[in-house]
Amino acid sequence: MSEGETLFDLRGVSRSYRRGDTVVHAVDAVDLTIGAGEFVALEGPSGSGKTTLLQLLGTLDRPDAGEIFFEGRPLHTLGDGALAELRLNAFGFVFQQFNLIQTLTALENVEAALAPHGLRGESLRIRAHNLLDEVGLAPRETHLPVHLSGGEQQRVAIARALANEPRVILADEPTGNLDSKTGLDVVELLAGLGERHGTTIVVATHDATLAARAPRRVAMRDGSIADAVPV
Amino acid sequence: MFYLRYLRSELLRRRARTALTVAGLALGVALVITISGLSRGLDRAQKTALDPLSGIGTDLTVTRGVQTDSTGFGGGPGGGGFRDLIQSNQSVLTDLSKLGNPGEHFVHDFFLPGTQLTFPASQGASVKSLPGVAAVSEGLLLIAEHQEGTVPKIVAQFKQAAKTFRIRRRITPLTAAEQQSIQACLAKHGVTFGAPPQQGQGGGGFSRGRGRRFDRGAFQQCLPARLRTFITTFRTPQQTLKQVLDPPQTDIKTTPYTIGGVDETQPDIGLVTRKQVTSGTYFTTGGHEALLATSYAAKQKLGVGSKLDLNGKTFTVMGLVSPPLGGQTADVYLPLQQLQSLAHQKNAANVILVRADNGSSVGKVQSEIKQRLGGAQVATAKDVADRVTGSLVDAASLSHNLGLVLEIVVAAAAFLIAVLLTLSSVGKRVRELGTLKAIGWTQRLVVRQVVGESLAQGVLGGVLGIGLGVVAAVAIGAFGPTLTASSSTGSSLLGAAAVRTARETLSLHAPLTVAIILLGLVLAIAGGLIAGAAGGLRAARLRPAEALRRVE
Repeated sequence: MSEGETLFDLRGVSRSYRRGDTVVHAVDAVDLTIGAGEFVALEGPSGSGKTTLLQLLGTLDRPDAGEIFFEGRPLHTLGDGALAELRLNAFGFVFQQFNLIQTLTALENVEAALAPHGLRGESLRIRAHNLLDEVGLAPRETHLPVHLSGGEQQRVAIARALANEPRVILADEPTGNLDSKTGLDVVELLAGLGERHGTTIVVATHDATLAARAPRRVAMRDGSIADAVPV
Repeated sequence: MFYLRYLRSELLRRRARTALTVAGLALGVALVITISGLSRGLDRAQKTALDPLSGIGTDLTVTRGVQTDSTGFGGGPGGGGFRDLIQSNQSVLTDLSKLGNPGEHFVHDFFLPGTQLTFPASQGASVKSLPGVAAVSEGLLLIAEHQEGTVPKIVAQFKQAAKTFRIRRRITPLTAAEQQSIQACLAKHGVTFGAPPQQGQGGGGFSRGRGRRFDRGAFQQCLPARLRTFITTFRTPQQTLKQVLDPPQTDIKTTPYTIGGVDETQPDIGLVTRKQVTSGTYFTTGGHEALLATSYAAKQKLGVGSKLDLNGKTFTVMGLVSPPLGGQTADVYLPLQQLQSLAHQKNAANVILVRADNGSSVGKVQSEIKQRLGGAQVATAKDVADRVTGSLVDAASLSHNLGLVLEIVVAAAAFLIAVLLTLSSVGKRVRELGTLKAIGWTQRLVVRQVVGESLAQGVLGGVLGIGLGVVAAVAIGAFGPTLTASSSTGSSLLGAAAVRTARETLSLHAPLTVAIILLGLVLAIAGGLIAGAAGGLRAARLRPAEALRRVE
């Protein structure tokens, strides 16, 4: 898919949760399109629905209503297997809590994303090593997450997200647990990778600095898109 | 392979959780193995001790018990009633006067049948003639009292002088005819009769003839026969009387044991058989030979070649035997005729062992024997087995009733422990598993990984459990409890001495087989698989978004 073509097309997408007796409309009738190669920041305060929207984009969740098209494919109609295959081949995720597997080393965490592709042995190890090298963490590849700093863990998470050469990287508050300098480094890393690989990057954040780095900012309030302003 | 390294990392780096799960499974497997082994050990012990008659080829045991209605075979005066019971056991009353002179040391063995009354040995032939009977062997099973001590002074002697006794008796007056006869007789002997006495001259009656003395002999001859008898004087001779003193003071020690007389001509059926000889040989000649029960021999420190002195006869121990519990067993066995002679029970027996043509005819033969020998007690092998009691029977019964249930409960508990621990573990890893799904792992891959981990824990638990089970089984064999099985024959009508009790003590073992060990391993693996599948599916079914929202 060439740059500029529509990657995501959301039409009237809603998602609500039941929290006790209350129904929370996390995403409410959102219409949104995201083009290939874009760097989009979903910004808004906590509870505005940006994480839920990100999860709907990444097929981690299903909408209650509306339609989501990815590269023209209706995600809302695909089965679990097809969605898993899509996540494996097209999406990369970066989480606020890093979500590294604590019993695996940095290298093995990256390998975890490569193994389902059928890579084995040395080729698996070399590929994982190269990815860590790309995020500047090759010297720390044998360390367990518990022995890495927050920034280092997030770099490992980014390397893992790049493992399948995704068409989209979905990052949820990637700097939320980092100090400002480290956060800025991570943002630059994501942006640079996006530019180098032509990867679409969607970042959910309430960090104005990070949002400011994105060419396109989509503001969310109470589950709806309040503003979508090309910078 | 990445997945195996991931599995290994999970197990090694979450040591506490892994150890807990493995220990739970191992404990369950060890318990299942131990209980199975114990159950098997009890089965073996039961088979050894509680298969009472199978080892001697006997289907039926015929005895003559005490019949309270005074009927029964055997031809005794009371037809098997209490009179026979007392008569048969007379010898239990020790006649101390026959043991030697006061102060002398004596050793004597008394034999009595107790409540298992004797009957003529010919009854065996009567049973053998019944249809369906393949073989018959008679036996004499007695309670023996070995007594040893000093003969006490038990009698006092009294000399009684000669005595003369005169018997006087008022006689019926003479009839006129008798008077005339007497007078005639006396006259014939020259005795005359005067006139009736005058007043003041004394009584009339017999007077002497002229110048002739009264002849007493003639007078007695002239008396009628009925009067001669009562004019008798007799004299008792001088004699010595013995009187039993009140309970004499004695130091007699009594040791009870049981003794059996065996028809040694039939070594394949009887109170003991050739097959039951554990060391030495069976009877060879029917002479002064003895066989000893192994337990009795051990207790008395006797062995093959030892000598037994029974009332002056020396018997050589030919072999040690181990007759099955519950049958008609004894401590000492002699050839039947030898025991009959020792016990003064010539041609007597008190047990008939019967083998039927085939198993199906046992019931019919039993009925026919009861009909032929009124009052006979005819016990089948099962009847005899039911008499066996003791801790072995209790334990075997417990094992029979609860063994399988216990194994299932323990296995279920082990499964439950494994499942709960795995579910708990998976519950704590929901976010991790959600992350795996987010990066493209399929549900199948996630479940496979979790099941693989559980399976590995199952294998580890199984191997450890097998090790623990084997150690437990060895420990039971080395330090385990002993179980007893006992069987009593006779009744307590004459008190405890009339009851013969055979007792067998067995060490409890927990023998293991490959099947039991494999069972333990299979249970552990199955436990791991079930636990892993349950936990993995539960986690994998969650939507990734939901899993990621979970806080560990």
